[in-house]
Amino acid sequence: MKYFVKVNGAEHEVEVVERLGDLEVRLAGRPVEFHYHEVNSHGQISLTVGERSYGISVEGDCSDVVVTLAGQRYAIDIEDERERAAGLAARARGGAGGPVKSVMPGVVVELLVAEGDEVEEGQPLLILEAMKMQNEIEAPTTGRVAQIHVATGQAVGAGEKLVTIEVPPAE
Amino acid sequence: MKHTELKRILVANRGEIALRIGRTAREMGMEWVAVHSDPDRSSLHTRFADIAYSLGGSTPAESYLDAGKIIAAAVATGAQAIHPGYGFLAENAGFAQAVIDAGLIWIGPPPRAIIDMGDKITSRQIMGAAGVPIVPGMAEPLADAAAAVAAAPGVGFPICMKASAGGGGKGIRVVRDPKDLESAFKQASAEAQAAFGDGRMYLERYLDQPRHIEVQVLFDAHGNGVHLGERECSIQRRHQKLLEECPSPTIDAATRAAMGETALQAARAVGYQGAGTVEFLFSKGEFFFLEMNTRLQVEHPITEMVTGVDLVREQLRIAAGEELGYDQDAIVMRGHAIEVRINAEDPANKFLPSTGTVQNLRLPGGPWVRLDSALYNGLEVGLNYDPMLAKLIVWGADRAQAIERMRRALAEMNVGGVSTGAPAALRVLQEPAFRAGDYDTHFLESLDLTEDFLKMGDVAAIAAAVFRHHKARRSALQPTAGRRDAWLSRGRAARAHYPLPPSASAGERADRSHA
Repeated sequence: MKYFVKVNGAEHEVEVVERLGDLEVRLAGRPVEFHYHEVNSHGQISLTVGERSYGISVEGDCSDVVVTLAGQRYAIDIEDERERAAGLAARARGGAGGPVKSVMPGVVVELLVAEGDEVEEGQPLLILEAMKMQNEIEAPTTGRVAQIHVATGQAVGAGEKLVTIEVPPAE
Repeated sequence: MKHTELKRILVANRGEIALRIGRTAREMGMEWVAVHSDPDRSSLHTRFADIAYSLGGSTPAESYLDAGKIIAAAVATGAQAIHPGYGFLAENAGFAQAVIDAGLIWIGPPPRAIIDMGDKITSRQIMGAAGVPIVPGMAEPLADAAAAVAAAPGVGFPICMKASAGGGGKGIRVVRDPKDLESAFKQASAEAQAAFGDGRMYLERYLDQPRHIEVQVLFDAHGNGVHLGERECSIQRRHQKLLEECPSPTIDAATRAAMGETALQAARAVGYQGAGTVEFLFSKGEFFFLEMNTRLQVEHPITEMVTGVDLVREQLRIAAGEELGYDQDAIVMRGHAIEVRINAEDPANKFLPSTGTVQNLRLPGGPWVRLDSALYNGLEVGLNYDPMLAKLIVWGADRAQAIERMRRALAEMNVGGVSTGAPAALRVLQEPAFRAGDYDTHFLESLDLTEDFLKMGDVAAIAAAVFRHHKARRSALQPTAGRRDAWLSRGRAARAHYPLPPSASAGERADRSHA
């Protein structure tokens, strides 16, 4: 199976093939000599790539994975070939926007846009107060505000939808 | 003042600082009482204490900020003294007085000193009178440009103009050349008038490349005082410190002695007792009093590592009425210490707070590594409390060794379930400017913390792909409990013949038949 792995904005193509119970990995088409061993069921992994050894931890689900490696935290988006194809089809239909979700629990202090507004990438959509701090939640992409899912004063949990942005189909 | 033997103290705090204070108390042969809110029933400080006393409530206001409950807890458990830690009630003079009035010992400075240092204007006046240098500026706002031009030479250039009613960066101008002053004042004043309806402006000296440097002091109740050198806390964002070091790479022995003497002068001016910290802004060889923190600081361990003095032990001895028993000559700074705060926040996302359940904890160790921590697997990190979860502290024979040791320790550490600011500290530690000691309070905000500075994204990608592959394979081989249930109940629902209300969805039908 081929995976499209997005790390810090850079995309890596990783192919994982199972052969006689062993995994073979290719990174951008080149075979990688590696060993992957789960130390426990909580995500402590012993990984060697070539001769280099890494004590890493991995957590997450199938599409969002967090890898902590040498003190650096990598938040990773991952798609397999099927999901990639479905994603491309959706983008072609003009669905590249989607919901902006809350990354943390908090309270909506102020809405800065209304449904139907055209927004620019990076434009603040609303102010979310969390941990006594006011945080501006920005539009991830240029588009139109299709729906606002929250109201001023509302408490939201992590992962909850805040605003849905719609992107017109590419010409 | 007579000497009291302390046998049991109460720590009116939570998290790593409660534990840190309790540890020294126990090493001194005392018992310590932990107080806790309902969510903290199983937290580390509760479990490590000799006596755990429930305050009830879930918000800070219902627990750690409730002075009445805390004093009642001390009385109920027979504690002789209360240590407030930092934050919560630590700088609340009313609480300090209430503790004293209840016949208990307050492990902190006299309430009067807290009041005097707690107000910015009062403390500035007291410091000015005591001969402590303060940032040159006007005590009263100015209404017009002519007055500003007249006052400017007394302040000195560069000058920062701030709106009297200020906020949000509006009405602020930095003027470096006297000939620009008049027009800058008019612009800023107009801006302030428009934004706040008040065009009056303060003039203050603008400090280039400001560094946040603070001096630790200790005073007993008999008039003896020493300083324990400085800590540099310039690695911060929006006044939230991330990394501190002791000593500062920019302070030489002569400046250290001068700052130390000034700090002692500042503390004496308010009749200080106990452990305290005098904060200075340092810019191009000049230093100015900023404020005094009348409590134990978060970053106190780096001073402990370099001086060998246990500051909590000294606080407890002073509170018991003992004399310091040593003078300034006894304080020797040896080597270098660095602290990194492990905060629940996401440095790649503008340090937004991060919440979740801590899991997959891997703690650093090895030579000269100290971890003051309240972390455990299963800890719920919410929004009710301070996001600081732990402090990682290292000591090295010199600054370069301390930097490498901290990088090594941070690379070993893993906190799962929440994001922490640790990668930002790792980034700071590898920056050439930081390593050269050449940084100021704007340094952290000048870094792009979203980039992959370790350049190990490809290794992370391989790990993530294999992780996902295993996960997908496992769920394909072993149907989850949920799936099997759904399959079974669908099967049963298909055989159920009794009438069901037409409004019920397929899912509800399945649930009913299953029950």
